[in-house]
Amino acid sequence: MELSNDLRNLPAGGDETKITKEIFQYIVIKLGEENFGIDINYIDNILRMQQITRVPKVPAYLKGVINLRGEVIPVMSLRLKMGLDEDVINRNTRIIILKIESEGSVGVIVDEVKEVIKLSEDQIESTTAEGAVPESRRFVSAVGKNGDELISILDIASISLDDN
Amino acid sequence: MDVSQYLEIFLDETNEHLQSLNTQILNLEQNPEDSDTINEIFRAAHSLKGMAGTMGYKRMQNLTHDMENVFSEVRAGNIKVGPEMIDTLFQCLDALQEYTDNIKNSSDEGTNDNEPLIKLLNDFLNKKDSEPAPAAKAPAASGKAEDKASGASDKWNHIKYDDSQVKVIHEAIKSGMNVYGINVTVRESCILKAARAFLVLKAIEEKGGEIIVSDPSSQDIEDEKFDLDFTLIVIAECPIETIIKAAADVSEIDKVVGDALDIDKIHVEDDEVPDGGDAPAQETPAAETVKAGETSAQTAPAQPAAQPATAAPAPAAQAPAAKPAERKPGKPVVNRTIRVDIEKLDSLMNLVSELIIAKNSIVSASAESVAASGANTDFNEKIEYLESVTTNLHESVMKVRMVPIESTVQKFPRMIRDLNKKLGKKMELYMTGEDTELDRTVVDEIGDPLMHLLRNSADHGIESAVVRAQRGKPETGSIFLDAYQEGNNVIIEVRDDGNGIDVEAVKNKAVEKGVVTPEQAAVMADKDAINLLFHPGFSTAKEITDVSGRGVGLDVVKSKIEALSGEVSVKSVLGEGSTWTIRLPLTLAIIQTLMVVVGGEKYAISLGSIETIETIPRGDIKYVENREVINLRGQVLPLIRLCELIDVESKCPDDANLTVVIVKKGDKMAGIVVDELKGQQEIVIKSLGRYIKQVKFISGATILGDGEVALILDTNALL
Repeated sequence: MELSNDLRNLPAGGDETKITKEIFQYIVIKLGEENFGIDINYIDNILRMQQITRVPKVPAYLKGVINLRGEVIPVMSLRLKMGLDEDVINRNTRIIILKIESEGSVGVIVDEVKEVIKLSEDQIESTTAEGAVPESRRFVSAVGKNGDELISILDIASISLDDN
Repeated sequence: MDVSQYLEIFLDETNEHLQSLNTQILNLEQNPEDSDTINEIFRAAHSLKGMAGTMGYKRMQNLTHDMENVFSEVRAGNIKVGPEMIDTLFQCLDALQEYTDNIKNSSDEGTNDNEPLIKLLNDFLNKKDSEPAPAAKAPAASGKAEDKASGASDKWNHIKYDDSQVKVIHEAIKSGMNVYGINVTVRESCILKAARAFLVLKAIEEKGGEIIVSDPSSQDIEDEKFDLDFTLIVIAECPIETIIKAAADVSEIDKVVGDALDIDKIHVEDDEVPDGGDAPAQETPAAETVKAGETSAQTAPAQPAAQPATAAPAPAAQAPAAKPAERKPGKPVVNRTIRVDIEKLDSLMNLVSELIIAKNSIVSASAESVAASGANTDFNEKIEYLESVTTNLHESVMKVRMVPIESTVQKFPRMIRDLNKKLGKKMELYMTGEDTELDRTVVDEIGDPLMHLLRNSADHGIESAVVRAQRGKPETGSIFLDAYQEGNNVIIEVRDDGNGIDVEAVKNKAVEKGVVTPEQAAVMADKDAINLLFHPGFSTAKEITDVSGRGVGLDVVKSKIEALSGEVSVKSVLGEGSTWTIRLPLTLAIIQTLMVVVGGEKYAISLGSIETIETIPRGDIKYVENREVINLRGQVLPLIRLCELIDVESKCPDDANLTVVIVKKGDKMAGIVVDELKGQQEIVIKSLGRYIKQVKFISGATILGDGEVALILDTNALL
């Protein structure tokens, strides 16, 4: 329910695209001033911020666990994982539940969920990492052009990778 | 015929039969003359043959066929059981197991014809022919036809009474009344059987007869739930002829047979078939009455020979009762069980878990409403009722999932027997507590670790006969496998009276393997040194045998048992033997816990590991080696500050007494300091997921009544 509400309120983003090209859908989220895109296929649910039960002795970016319809789901801070500052929780803060086949579900905390956009193949340019990349770019696999806006597309698989 | 849908049942049953054969043949080795065992083996081999034949596994069928032949001769007393035969039979079982494994893996039995084995079996048979003993073959299914057709004429002697009925009968006889057994057969063409039966009952009652027992019950008779006949026990003053006449006068009644009840034949819950039971159906009712020494008026035309219908439906209670009588008494043969897919049980268990979470949320909602608007006893009572129902439901589902460890440990005596020969040692396995029950998933998983420990004992533990003699021990080594329940845990011990663990050898080996430095080894306590055995890649066997010592060993045992939320420990005295103890939780999913609060966070501690709860004044804390300890009734326990462990600030004022939860693991105890106790709660254990796996002392999480998540503290990891 949460998901459908949120999606309905989001402005339909992106220009009309030609049907012949492959279309990808992304949810645009905000971390600080930057926009990131998450492939909609990974997204199971979007929740408002709720009480997170802290788990001791785990890396700082693992914020703890929440109860999602009777299941215990771990939640991580995308900001901390990407080497940004600690989250500031406000009314825009959301937990996005990602479903990753090999690892099960995991929630990520984001500053804000903005909209759903459609991008066609030619609007997406993959980033080839050369040399040392800053922590915050490690998980960006491509950049999408949505009008004038640039959207860094997150590589969900590498975010969910356990590096502790 | 497509038999694939039966494959699973076939595999299940084949394994059962093979297990039974293994056990029985071991038994036979000890008692070569025991006819019960021989019969049991014959039966199992026969069933196996039939099943393999039905499924189209020809090779398996051939082998079992020849085994069955041998046993048929053994049973008839034409061949004697000897050691070579036992060996051959065990080889046959191995071959059968191989077929079964092949079938399990590829639905095909494989191509091994096992001709040498079949030849060996046939040699036994041929040997017999050269012996003078007459080859009188015992028919396979002797005597079966007889007990089915037990006398239809004296059914009242087979009725089962309850205590009160017996009492009534005895009192009636004492007061000079007559007690009759009457069997009424309704004509086959009769349409309204129930109505006729009712008229019969009424007619008997009109003659002053009191019906105290009926079979089927009067309710069933009313509902027409009987074949063609029913049996009554009647107390009356008038002679039996009157009663029979009255009953027989009802139209469409075929036959009424009756006799005074033989008081000696009254049995309450008896499986025995009385003498009369052997009487074939064809025997006339008159003959039966003569036997009882009474005159009885046969007003109804006696025509039993022309009545196959009356003979066939032997009373339902009688047919199963007749069977056990021909086998060993006191051993239940027919299990009233059904097979259920384990997945269905899992989903049932999950539903019960959901229900308990839902119940917990109602409990917490009610607690809030009580706080808001005062107590509502009526509502509280209902909630308490709900709680007791869900707890019972959980226990029942848990019990459904429990199976005795017997199925797993059964194969061990055979294994030890084989190891005897292979290792050239003499040893004996003694098992107790095979009926101890565990969750099915645990029982399935526990086999390998146990086998490893037993092999370990056989290979490293038990000394050779020569060494044992030198040490003044009995020549035959003993290995014990004991299982028992202790609180919420099941303990399985593997014990031997062998060499014990040589701590120095372990230390040397550990240093050699680079597990510890020589300096560490020098100061290491014996207990810690023994625990090195569980270190990955550790093996102290001087030479590698195919029994144990291949480097994959105790560490695998340990990790496997820990995966089942259990733990393994070892105690040993050099020269006297070692004891390996496996401790497993009874259930994996739902536990009773104590909720505690530390620094505002809630944690659950399993009640099973809690010894007591104590309030300790701060002044009582002592220091040993810079660590906090308390002296609890003469026992010095280490104190664990939960707030330090989980990195939170305690919210307890500094001057207050400490609330200490005393936890135990085996004989180790410790005190855990918490801020506050929240009370007992039944919780459903949920995994923390794969992202959070590094926390040693957190065994999982649970969802509380208000939807909040609380973590479960694994106190075993703290001790």
